[in-house]
Amino acid sequence: MQDLENEIRGLIAQIIEKDPVEVTPEAKFFEDLGVDSMMALEIMAAIEKKYKISIPEEKLAQLRTLKDTIAVAQEFMAGKIQENA
Amino acid sequence: MLDINQIQKILPQRYPFLMIDRVLEHEPGKKVVALKNVTVNEEFFSGHFPQKRIMPGVLIIEAMAQAAIVLFYAEDSQDKQIAYYLGAVKVRFLNPVFPGDQLKITVEPVKAISAAAIVNAVVVAGDKEVARGELSFSAKEESK
Repeated sequence: MQDLENEIRGLIAQIIEKDPVEVTPEAKFFEDLGVDSMMALEIMAAIEKKYKISIPEEKLAQLRTLKDTIAVAQEFMAGKIQENA
Repeated sequence: MLDINQIQKILPQRYPFLMIDRVLEHEPGKKVVALKNVTVNEEFFSGHFPQKRIMPGVLIIEAMAQAAIVLFYAEDSQDKQIAYYLGAVKVRFLNPVFPGDQLKITVEPVKAISAAAIVNAVVVAGDKEVARGELSFSAKEESK
């Protein structure tokens, strides 16, 4: 869990060009971190690529904080495990 | 294949900023392979550089972006005025482009949603790779 959080924090920090320490679980992407809609899409695409999952478009609006992003990633990673079982 | 007349129906760019001469492969939403012939008569060569003519990297990015517009062009967008905004560019230049080079630009989607997309682009000149990278852009319909 901690590993996943750190990995996703690292991905986000790289895309939005901020120090990972600024990307706290509760920091709001748009208001606090200056993320725009293109960066949000890039975050989504980076997570899809890293974890080999596919996240539908309507989930994009749910990516508002690191915490939300981890929750969305976990939701689809869980789905993938079930498919493989 | 799309010839230059068909390309001009898709791309809003015109001389001297039309960076695609022909589309060799056109699978809408899946893959586009476009061709750009670089001649010594290109305007930019007179200043970039007078002593050593090299195609500016930003124009190679422009060619990638124009190929990406063709990639996402849909038949039903013919009557609409669509504005394209480049959001981010992550490109590595591997070899310089000289007069006489024929650029083959391949673009494929990494992630596409209704109003935005990220594409992967690779540009080759003959057997040498010239540039590769990722472009993100959004599209917005504008009233005429």
